[in-house]
Amino acid sequence: MSCRRLKDWFGERYDTDALGALARLKTVPSHRFDAWYLAGGLTLFLFVFQFITGMALALYYIPHAEHAHKSIIDIVTKLNMGWLFRSLHHWGAQLAILVLFIHVFSTLLLKAYRKPRELVWFTGFVMLAISIFFGLSGYFLLWDERAFAAVRVATGGAGGLPLVGGLIKGFLRGGIDVTGETLTRFYAFHVAILPLVTIVVTGLHILLVQLHGMSVPLSQEEKQGRPEPFFPNLFYKDLIVWLICLGVLVTLAVVFPPEIGRKADPLAPAPENIKPEWYFLFLFQTLKLFPGEMLGMNGETIAITLISAAILFFFLIPIFDRRSAAGRRSPLFTWIGAFYLIYFTVMTIIGFLT
Amino acid sequence: MLRAFLIVVFFFLIGETVLCGGAEPKVEAFPSAPYDRHIIYQALVLFWIGIMGLVVIIAMKLREIRRVRKMGIDEEEEDAPFLD
Repeated sequence: MSCRRLKDWFGERYDTDALGALARLKTVPSHRFDAWYLAGGLTLFLFVFQFITGMALALYYIPHAEHAHKSIIDIVTKLNMGWLFRSLHHWGAQLAILVLFIHVFSTLLLKAYRKPRELVWFTGFVMLAISIFFGLSGYFLLWDERAFAAVRVATGGAGGLPLVGGLIKGFLRGGIDVTGETLTRFYAFHVAILPLVTIVVTGLHILLVQLHGMSVPLSQEEKQGRPEPFFPNLFYKDLIVWLICLGVLVTLAVVFPPEIGRKADPLAPAPENIKPEWYFLFLFQTLKLFPGEMLGMNGETIAITLISAAILFFFLIPIFDRRSAAGRRSPLFTWIGAFYLIYFTVMTIIGFLT
Repeated sequence: MLRAFLIVVFFFLIGETVLCGGAEPKVEAFPSAPYDRHIIYQALVLFWIGIMGLVVIIAMKLREIRRVRKMGIDEEEEDAPFLD
């Protein structure tokens, strides 16, 4: 069947012309900061990329404590291009989380969360949390000693939360300690639960963005130019960014393939100088700032409570920032956003260098 | 500024791998035979050439769309005569 006939076949059954007209009607604002709009599309591209490479890896991975590590070694050493798929999946995850952080901070500093886009911010934040959990669960599937120690520390940290900490820790670990049960749970999260939640939340996020349109920063409302059509203008720009990102991704995957450490031994002590993944370094470094005991209480519990409060405040910023919601400038929240960004960056760099 | 930011991020990610690498790898995560490596690097160069070619074509297309739009001839006039 030729393309023309296929198009006619669909056209006779569905109103495809209306869809085309809708795509032509969609416009995006044009102003000084419009390049930041590309971060959203790039995140979506990387998510799709992760789904594809992840599906290929899932065909060969064995989610069992006895075989998981060996199955990854087999993927890397025995399968044709297996090393490339694993490396692409690893670097895709790093870049997806990095781009998501850039997207969140640009939204925060440009106040794109302000009324009526609060739900867009909330769904975006949930996606960031899901991505970080994706990263942690995926890292653990490697079942090497570093991943094992990292998950023991991360789930132990969650256990430090007052009231619900023990429950969360037990739920994540599937028992008292990190074992093969934890691997089963993390596998279920990584390949079934999180992807489904991601599809639902991402769909809702995109739907809300379409409903509200792109946000224009307050400072640019008077200065913006003629809106650009989404298709083909922004679509072509997106395509250029995606292609360059794909090139960078493949280069990183080829030049810096991720290592595979020794198989995890639940009875062995944690290896020396272990560090969490880069997106946990700011938390790791913050925990180090607190002494073992403060005011007669456990220092770690205080630190985790404070960090949780700071994350909750970050999540609820659209509700607290009343001036932005009223269409007025709110320099206080610009400073708060800048503080979060600087703190995250500085603590990550310190954690990375020390 | 955006370009400088992306360069910093790129080197940060590379540095992360180098510094956090830790002990020497236990498993070869990359084909070790010199011929295989040569083929892979050659394919990477070709891949980049393909990407740059596509980027140039799309950028030219985008420039043309912008030029037409700037001239104001991208929208059909409402009272234009219908030519059969």
